[in-house]
Amino acid sequence: MMGVDTTAVKSDAAAGEPPPERIPRQFNPEFLEATRELERQWQKSFAAIAAKFGVDPANYRLATDSGLPLKPTYFPHDVAGRSDDAAAPGTFPFTRGLYAAQYQFMPWANQPVIGYGLPEDTRKRMDYLQSQGMTGYFGSTFYNLVYDLVSHEGLDPDHPAAEGRVGQCGMAVYSVQDQARLFDGLPLDRINVVHISYYEVLPVLAHYLAYARRRGVPWSRLGGNSMSWYYQSAYVGMTCFPPKSGMVLAVELVNFCTSHMPRWNTVNIFGYGMEEAGATAVQEAAYSVAAGIDYARACVVSGLHPDQFLSRFGFQISQANDFFEEICKVRALRRLWARKCHELGARDPKSMHVRIHSHTSGAVLTAQQPLNNLIRTTLHTLGAALSGVQAMEVSSFDEALAIPTEHAHTMALRVQQIIQDESGIARVADPLGGSYYVEHLTSQIEQEAQKLLDEVEARGGFHRCHDFIRARIEESAARWRDEVDAGRRIVVGVNKHVSSEMQDIEIFKLNPEAERVAVERVRALRASRDKERWGRAMADLDRAAQRLRDGEYGVLMPAMVEAADADATTGELMGVLKKHLGWSSPY
Amino acid sequence: MAKDTIRVLLGKTTMECHDRGVRYLATKLRDAGMEVIFINFLEAREIVDTAIEEDVDVIGVSSSVEGHMPVAREVTRRLAELGKEDVLIIFGGVIPERDIAPMKTMGVREVFGPGSSADSVIEFIRGNARSRSFALD
Repeated sequence: MMGVDTTAVKSDAAAGEPPPERIPRQFNPEFLEATRELERQWQKSFAAIAAKFGVDPANYRLATDSGLPLKPTYFPHDVAGRSDDAAAPGTFPFTRGLYAAQYQFMPWANQPVIGYGLPEDTRKRMDYLQSQGMTGYFGSTFYNLVYDLVSHEGLDPDHPAAEGRVGQCGMAVYSVQDQARLFDGLPLDRINVVHISYYEVLPVLAHYLAYARRRGVPWSRLGGNSMSWYYQSAYVGMTCFPPKSGMVLAVELVNFCTSHMPRWNTVNIFGYGMEEAGATAVQEAAYSVAAGIDYARACVVSGLHPDQFLSRFGFQISQANDFFEEICKVRALRRLWARKCHELGARDPKSMHVRIHSHTSGAVLTAQQPLNNLIRTTLHTLGAALSGVQAMEVSSFDEALAIPTEHAHTMALRVQQIIQDESGIARVADPLGGSYYVEHLTSQIEQEAQKLLDEVEARGGFHRCHDFIRARIEESAARWRDEVDAGRRIVVGVNKHVSSEMQDIEIFKLNPEAERVAVERVRALRASRDKERWGRAMADLDRAAQRLRDGEYGVLMPAMVEAADADATTGELMGVLKKHLGWSSPY
Repeated sequence: MAKDTIRVLLGKTTMECHDRGVRYLATKLRDAGMEVIFINFLEAREIVDTAIEEDVDVIGVSSSVEGHMPVAREVTRRLAELGKEDVLIIFGGVIPERDIAPMKTMGVREVFGPGSSADSVIEFIRGNARSRSFALD
């Protein structure tokens, strides 16, 4: 078990303590009586206009994309009675943002997703986007790298199921040698690397750590992310591990990083994937918190204190079409998570922060009239910025067609840069704070999400609720599509303003040699490596995986790095995990 | 199950997460009175094995990020080997225009791209699936 060094946990009691009772409830009764009278007057004017359109105000219904009821306008009394809205940016429950200074000294990080073909192909795009001003925190560069589908499944490129999928939708990286092809020449201790993987989280991190060691860079100085998206099998078809095994693998990583990699982000809560699968904004907020808190509880059971690991949990949240609902979702999510983490025993404000990488929605982008997607993503990006997120990936306008071309990728980066540098919206923290509508909708989403969260918690937590969550998300997906088909939900270019004119855009075509080369490389590696050393390391890893399955944390990850360093491939490393923790094991 | 109920196997590779569309289609085919079997496959031969075991009339494969060509080749080849050419094969998802003609040459009967409605798929299946109502018991 990992040593618990509580002295390392810094505490900022003022920022982390709920609730700010010293703040009086908003507005005095006399003022509220006056605004209620103003609303009554407004209702008469509204009714008169509605009548001209043949609408009876009594039957007039407005709702957000999630289905939350709205009023045509909001008044001060709609937000009276709450005091936490008034808290400053950077104080509990962080509705108004995580930090006292939001973007004033440092704007959000640009984190375009990159990854296709061979590692050299991906590296070319990494260097190109870096040259175009892709910027992380403190002037560093963030590389948000996605592995290919074959890797996600934990296969090697010469597996029969890999045909036609190598280097597709991600990069063909399966070994320490491939990590070298990606990163040689880059200062590992000064860059931030997000390894976007699904189930092959530990194998790819093991490859990266073995590579760092060969370069002489201490693990403690590496910055970046592992995704730990095992819980995703609740709402997408991909699944290598049963829910409980996924949790065990996530907790192993958290324990390892807590001891060896203080700068590494261990768990990413992928609300984006939920909304892409069809979840509403309310469901995304609720199920994100449910997934995160479930993993956090498992870490506590493993012997860690919340303040040792929670600050390394991050969120990837969608920005889709309903502009204000998506903004309020982010604000509500910060509140929900802060309260839940406080309940779990977190006291360091950083342990209650929802650090968000915002990903603009791909699901709402269209193959029809693809340039329209630039306009959609601009709105999504603006929303993300107004809600105060920490980093962003903007989908490319050719998202619905293929992997982004260099041109489309650059345009997506420019969307961020223009909003960052030209619009002035980054000057003031929480620019929408205090809007009657925004504050009211934030609370509405919080309350509705809290109900969904309670439902999951009452059923034993996220990992026991995969079928339940899948059913809820599929219902929402079906409702959305039915509305589009019936024309009740407008999608420009699809069911309104349809044009037969084709927008002729370039479609990305993958390096046709990628698959052949990747297969040759992995075969050459297996033939040339020190077989005895590899055999010993794999046997050690096998025993370590058994011990993890039996509940012992802290032995698997070091064994996996040794096997990676002995040139074991992704498929081989994952094979061991699947053997002991996969669906077929007697786990 | 009535003897003339159309049986459909829908499949998507387990490597791909973009399954919102095919899951939606599964519910719509079911609502239209068809019997639907849904699998996440690893290798294309699993599709054919399942299709034979389940005696389906239609195979629908969803693909959004390439890899569809080897699957189409394998599925059509194995069905032909087994003398099951009367099973209707359709694809959907994000399939590049350039691949559609070669897929049809292999024996894929239709490809439903982005924007296709569930109704158009249902109509195509009803118009083209083999008839079961006159099959010998």
